[in-house]
Amino acid sequence: MNSIIAGNVLRFLGLVIIQGLVFKNIGVGWEEFPYLHIIVFPIFIILLPLRTPRALIILLGFAIGITVDFFYNSLGVHASAAVFTAFLRPFLLRIMEPRGGYNVNYSPTAARMGLGWFLRYASIMLFLHLFFYFSVEAFTFVYIVDILLKTIVSFVVSMIFIIIYQLLFNPLD
Amino acid sequence: MFNLLQLLLKLSSFFVFIVLEIICFSLIVKYNQQQSDVYVNTVNHFTGVVQEKSAATYQYFQLYDENIRLARENSQLLERLANAGINVQSETDTAYTDSLEAQYTFIEAKVIKNSVNQNHNYLVLNKGKKDGITEHSGVVTERGVVGIVRKVSDNFAVAMSILHRQTRINARIRGKVFFGPLQWKGTDTRLFNLEDIPKHAPVIKGDTIETSGYSTIFPEGIMLGTIEKLSLDPGSNFFNIEVRSSLDMSTIQHVYIVRNLLRSEQEQLEQAVQKEDE
Repeated sequence: MNSIIAGNVLRFLGLVIIQGLVFKNIGVGWEEFPYLHIIVFPIFIILLPLRTPRALIILLGFAIGITVDFFYNSLGVHASAAVFTAFLRPFLLRIMEPRGGYNVNYSPTAARMGLGWFLRYASIMLFLHLFFYFSVEAFTFVYIVDILLKTIVSFVVSMIFIIIYQLLFNPLD
Repeated sequence: MFNLLQLLLKLSSFFVFIVLEIICFSLIVKYNQQQSDVYVNTVNHFTGVVQEKSAATYQYFQLYDENIRLARENSQLLERLANAGINVQSETDTAYTDSLEAQYTFIEAKVIKNSVNQNHNYLVLNKGKKDGITEHSGVVTERGVVGIVRKVSDNFAVAMSILHRQTRINARIRGKVFFGPLQWKGTDTRLFNLEDIPKHAPVIKGDTIETSGYSTIFPEGIMLGTIEKLSLDPGSNFFNIEVRSSLDMSTIQHVYIVRNLLRSEQEQLEQAVQKEDE
């Protein structure tokens, strides 16, 4: 139990640092191609334990989002997307519930749920997160084509990094 | 009560979501230049529409006062038209002064009673002797002639409408010298007869008919209508001309009463000549 909390705290800090110090510069530094933003921190929300109360998931989403915002100097933009993703998580989990149901003591990881299930779940979560994020970043649907283009390009690259994260750590919970 | 609490508990995550999103969006608008620009522009767009609508509504309530103000202004402007004055220029050897002195004044009035469906139609106007109205003054609007004042009390004036069988307006064809009396046909409120136009006159359908200025009642050049039908009876020397009036008498509300300041002078002179002849 304590190890689960400790693991999630470490994941929180590690993701914020790598997102805010490494991936931020990759995305922002590319002036010729402004469509690529590598965003991996939603994996924190994706991997939270299954028995986490809904309200707590949303609060934690807000916490990591606003922390990333401090690095990006875009107060509220990442936070609103993270809150949105955290809000959708329980609904998505209910839709994707396997035949036997969930073991509430587990987390929705590849080790527990299988790689195929995890990739489907993580990619839907990430895609929704990115779409919401780029919509808020533009703050208008006038540039819907730009928003979709950014979402798709960033989704493909970010997903690769999430798979790498999965291969590197293969977290149990 | 318990059910309500259960429902609230069930919805608690939704409330948390809504509250946090509101916080996020207020932060975004407050601290991010680009997004706040979009926000301000969008809000201005919608409040602009609302403000426009409310201003339009407010103006609508002001229309009555505005009408009265415009009618007054119109009467002042009409007085300054060239044909509302007589030319008192003196053509001497050296000096040529082109000065106009007022011959007509226009007093705005409101129609408080009107009829169009009788053989003898009358209008009642809300201006009378107190306002300087005299009998046999002309009544016009900016679109055409309305009638002639018949009787005046202190506060009211009764005018015989142009839709009166005995009203004759001295009319001419614009741009041509031919003139004759215009009289209502007695049926359609827009149809009039123009008489005394000789058959050699170059009139065509669609010509404009206006007041001739030969009477002392109306200044010249006030619109009356256009020629609708033109025919010539065999053996007659005059055209039968049907004129469609420019003014719909059933809708008039504001009119101007014309006062010819030089009428008595002109009439006295004419009468003196007639007396000499007798």
